Amino acid sequence: MMNVIHIRKGKDLRLKGAAEKRIEETVPPQTVAILPLDFRGVIPRLLIQPGQTVKVGTPLFEDHNVPEIKIVSPASGEIVAIRRGDKRVLQEIIIKTDGKQGLERFREFDASAIKNCSREDIIQVLLRGGVWPCLRQRPFSKIANPQDRPKCIFVQAMNTEPLALDVDVLLRDRDAEFQLGLEIIKKLTAGEIHLCFSSTAKSTALTHAPGVVRHLFSGPHPAGNVSTHIHYIDPIKKGDIVWYLQAEDVLRIARLFREGLFSPEKVVAVTGEGVSRRVYKKTIIGASLADIIPGSPPGGLRYISGSVLRGENVGREGFLHFYDSQVTVIPEGGKREFLGWLSFGIKKFSLTRTLASSFFPSSRELSLDTDNHGSKRSIILNDIYDPYVPLDILVYFLVRAILSGDLEEAERLGLLECAEEDFSLCSFVCPSKVDIAEILRRGLAAAEKDS
Amino acid sequence: MGIVNKRFEKISELFSPGKPLERFYPIFEAWDNFLRTPGTRTQKAPHVRDVVDLKRVMIIVVIALFPCLFMGMYNVGYQIQKFQGAAASFPAALLSGARIVLPILLVTYLVGGFWEVLFAVIRKHEINEGFLVTGILFALTLPPSIPLWQVAVGISFGVVIGKEIFGGTGYNVLNPALTGRAFLFFAYPGYLSGDSVWAAVDGFSRATPLAVLSASGKGGAAVQTLLDAGYTFQNMFWGFIPGSIGETSKAACLLGLFLLLMTRIANWRVVVGCFLGLMTTGLLCMNFQGGQTLTYFSLPAHWHLVMGGFAFGAIFMATDPVSSCATQPGRWIYGFLVGALVMVIRVLNPAYPEGVMLAILFMNIVAPLIDYLVVESHIRRRAKHATAR
Repeated sequence: MMNVIHIRKGKDLRLKGAAEKRIEETVPPQTVAILPLDFRGVIPRLLIQPGQTVKVGTPLFEDHNVPEIKIVSPASGEIVAIRRGDKRVLQEIIIKTDGKQGLERFREFDASAIKNCSREDIIQVLLRGGVWPCLRQRPFSKIANPQDRPKCIFVQAMNTEPLALDVDVLLRDRDAEFQLGLEIIKKLTAGEIHLCFSSTAKSTALTHAPGVVRHLFSGPHPAGNVSTHIHYIDPIKKGDIVWYLQAEDVLRIARLFREGLFSPEKVVAVTGEGVSRRVYKKTIIGASLADIIPGSPPGGLRYISGSVLRGENVGREGFLHFYDSQVTVIPEGGKREFLGWLSFGIKKFSLTRTLASSFFPSSRELSLDTDNHGSKRSIILNDIYDPYVPLDILVYFLVRAILSGDLEEAERLGLLECAEEDFSLCSFVCPSKVDIAEILRRGLAAAEKDS
Repeated sequence: MGIVNKRFEKISELFSPGKPLERFYPIFEAWDNFLRTPGTRTQKAPHVRDVVDLKRVMIIVVIALFPCLFMGMYNVGYQIQKFQGAAASFPAALLSGARIVLPILLVTYLVGGFWEVLFAVIRKHEINEGFLVTGILFALTLPPSIPLWQVAVGISFGVVIGKEIFGGTGYNVLNPALTGRAFLFFAYPGYLSGDSVWAAVDGFSRATPLAVLSASGKGGAAVQTLLDAGYTFQNMFWGFIPGSIGETSKAACLLGLFLLLMTRIANWRVVVGCFLGLMTTGLLCMNFQGGQTLTYFSLPAHWHLVMGGFAFGAIFMATDPVSSCATQPGRWIYGFLVGALVMVIRVLNPAYPEGVMLAILFMNIVAPLIDYLVVESHIRRRAKHATAR
């Protein structure tokens, strides 16, 4: 039953600057931050004040609507700043760590105790232990609501973003923990647990995971996206709710039950041609980039939490976002070239066939900077997007429906199956420089407000 | 490059907000970005972008039209030489052709460009490179004998009514170049109704192959009629016949097609659809030939490929992504129907000897309907896929 699902549409951007697949221990970072905007759907109500000391697992804020959902501190130390943006939107809670990683203790469960837990018990432990935000739902990619009963749960155990962390490495020799985590989340749904991983995965935690439905995916990005998995395995209709989480969070859940602690552990792939020491680093949630990449040069580089396709430009002093397990550093662009459109483009890169380089496939890794390569126009080439979206979606028509505010049509065209990151390659390739992913984000936000 | 950049910074100050030339910023912007890549950076994800932009796309289409332009120039000169009985000379023909074609092109770009800039300034948006293509397309669909004031009127109509009133490039329903030509066609039928025109010397006119057949009555053999008039398959393919500037040489059109398909800018489904539509309908027509039918019916289907503006229209006009269908099945249907309609208008309807322009314009109007039906069936299939599980 280990069927491989081959994804044909999409594209891997083979960038320069892959990280060596070796996990390196690091000292705990000096500052960490929790970025409340990461937790989509949560309206934060603060539980701490500046100057207060916290431990690993101390709640920082809770959701206004579902107060049981708490976001906890990943480090022990002192709250040094709470930053707000426009309209007093909470943006950053910055913690100066004391390096001791003192823990809030929760109840420990042994194997039989877990077996006897009801769905309600499990939910309560997850909520109190602060790992609940790891569970997200489709549609809308927001934090799962504990009151919902999901049709099934997807575990995303692969990542096909450019230079992404290889989840397989992360799970090596952690079979027992991973299995325990899967058993726990199995209690959350009456449906199946779909474990989705790459067809090249070797770790037995994935290939021999018992009690779940295993799905192997192969092919180019976005073969690893949750939307792709859901679409090919159990597509959602209107009214369906599906939960999903990342493989590393399964480990987090297991440790909460077995050891009674909130594990802030995070393995981060340090990637991109802008950084010289590229390895996997074991750090914690919300670590500052200055700690992850010590001695990073200041000028001419872009520091991204996440991948070049969907990450956030956080700057050299910025922080790792909650769901990210990758940091990418690439050179900034913006050089003005004389008669650029006349060049044949032998050394440039395009997914289209409009450059000379398109006809000489090379195995060289790409060196891409942040140049926009053009200015915004209206969409002309409307057939250019579909080859990069493996979902059964007519991209151009979906975009048109969103732009014209026809949400009903957009939903009929499959809006609710999507997340903005599924369209980042469309934004990449668009010759009119229209940010297709951003349009999708707006459409989803409008549809969520509507629902 | 450093000096150029400094110069540009200086000039750009004049166009910055609050300065006297602020209103004309789009003009400066267009030239600035024509000469130098814009050099803007991505603000958020995706942080890296493809090198291709619309400028490059449009310029590739213009380059794809160069063979048609140069063959057209040469042929215009060649037709004059032939009429005057002068000795055939390649450079002389090219030169005298250029003297007729370049003014037409220039007037198109100047007048059309004026409208383009005016709308950009009023709407405060950047100038869209699509006009580079519209301009050359429009000029190439005209007969060389056209008066320049008509060129100006036609492109004005095409740009303003065909495009700008809908919101500019990307929002138009009809192909703007063809809209302009259709306007001239109906407003000044004496000049370009396609029967007897087309070499730019006074007192000379010679029926085009289309007109020859259209006027040939009933029951004849079409190929023989054409051969009698001096038109062979070969010279119609290579383009040594009178006709609109860009349409005569099918060889040049094929060169352009090669570039458009190689760069995947044109969607091949539309072109193949046009070809199949024309051939299918052509073969059907041949089946009905007889004493009572028009001579036109008996023309072998493949001859239709090299007649008139079919190749030019199918390759450069029907493939316009904005005014054609935007779904893959839709593109097949759209292309096929363009081809079929060309035959229907050419052969079954004796009023118009040529049908390419009208066929494409008509299908431009129908395209959204085809898309609508395809999208609806897609939605139904999606719903089934979701409930099947």
